[in-house]
Amino acid sequence: MRRPIIGITAYVEPASWGVWQDLPTTLLPHAYTEAVMLAGGRAVLLPPDDGDTDVLRTLDGLVLAGGADLDPALYGAEAEPLTVARADRDAAELPLARAALKADLPVLGVCRGMQVLVVAAGGTLHQHLPDVLGHEKHRPAPAVYGTHDVALTAGSRIAGIMRDDLQIDCYHHQGVADPGSLLVTGRAEDGLPEAVEDPGRRFVLGVQWHPELNRDKRLFGALVDAAR
Amino acid sequence: MKGISVRRPLIGLTAYEQEVQYNGNNLIAGMLPMTYVKAVQATGGRAVLITPDDPGTDVLDSLDGIVFSGGGDIDPKYWGEELHPAADVDELRDTSELMLMKAALDRDLPLLGVCRGMQVMAVAAGGSLHQHLPDVIGHDRHRAAPGTDPLAADASAFGRHEVVLQPGSRAAALLGPSLTVNSFHHQGVNDPGTFTATGWCPDDEVIEIIEDPGRPFALGVQWHPERTGDLRVFAALAEAASRWSDRGRQVLAA
Repeated sequence: MRRPIIGITAYVEPASWGVWQDLPTTLLPHAYTEAVMLAGGRAVLLPPDDGDTDVLRTLDGLVLAGGADLDPALYGAEAEPLTVARADRDAAELPLARAALKADLPVLGVCRGMQVLVVAAGGTLHQHLPDVLGHEKHRPAPAVYGTHDVALTAGSRIAGIMRDDLQIDCYHHQGVADPGSLLVTGRAEDGLPEAVEDPGRRFVLGVQWHPELNRDKRLFGALVDAAR
Repeated sequence: MKGISVRRPLIGLTAYEQEVQYNGNNLIAGMLPMTYVKAVQATGGRAVLITPDDPGTDVLDSLDGIVFSGGGDIDPKYWGEELHPAADVDELRDTSELMLMKAALDRDLPLLGVCRGMQVMAVAAGGSLHQHLPDVIGHDRHRAAPGTDPLAADASAFGRHEVVLQPGSRAAALLGPSLTVNSFHHQGVNDPGTFTATGWCPDDEVIEIIEDPGRPFALGVQWHPERTGDLRVFAALAEAASRWSDRGRQVLAA
């Protein structure tokens, strides 16, 4: 029997491995594909492609993965000094997110992916959280995740998925300012949106944390179930 | 085609899965040089990556064509030999790609093998490889220095050589009687199994092209067309994948 096919947006970065140094490479941390597989789906990676969004027709679900910042021009702001965007991913992922919302395809946004969902839904971002919040708990240091608890809206989709284990791992310096047409259903103790969703659609969920790190079967399982 | 917009063929690319360094990260990732993705996109396809960390072949149901990409060596246990000291095998990809290759051949999915991918074709079809070409041909000129472009005017001659093609073959219809190619390999096809060899390096008779004219599209090349401006084999795959996709739609519509 064919498993649901889950497309995951991929990075493009200069990468080094074996004898190769700084080769332009499309890549995605293994944690994502393993999380999808363990949840019963079949992952394929989607390198940036700004041609069209027809690939969605062959997918049963979409994961918008983590990565660099979005270009603030996409939500009508000037770039601040610490904002580092990837034009190739932006050009591919915003149309994918909009088309997925239009087609009511199940979609999970992770970190940058949640921010892509928010911008696709007409929202805006804070470009550097320490300037806004006065602390660095959402990205304590390079390659160090900030672990904290999330407060979820009772009765929301994310509350039903997470149940009573509310510990999350974050690594981001931008955050949601205005969720657009999405509903904020999870917040950190400083009030920052940690989860957004669209209750009017089959499955549209964005989380600011990284559920792939522990292959969270609750979240990826909910996506794969919605994609069946 | 009334009511159906023309969709680009969906081309799967087999990917590496290994430790990689980027932007200060060091982690296990599914990955592939962008040259492959750009070759597919430039010839009218939509590229998706197939990582080797998954045991199934059901993903082939969604594809119109597949590229078996370059990479490490294939374990000689698949053709009954002991491992050569110079071998650097990729066990994860061997398992996944031999399974995907057999399933792709079973359903006649259009496929292109590049370097290691051509070798996967031969092994899946019952053939065998030379494990270390210098042992067989006495030189290492099929392996360019890492990171070099053997076709560049100032590159060393290592990794650049001619290929002559079998007149009347599908490959010759596509590529002509001969061409100059770039090479980055130290294994080579010894026995192409059920495939037919249709191109060779004239200096040493190393097999450079295999094909199966009885299938919609099954072509393997030992060189790296994705690193050159000559994307004719990718264009031929995209065309075959479009035909295959249309046929699939007709079957579904019937």
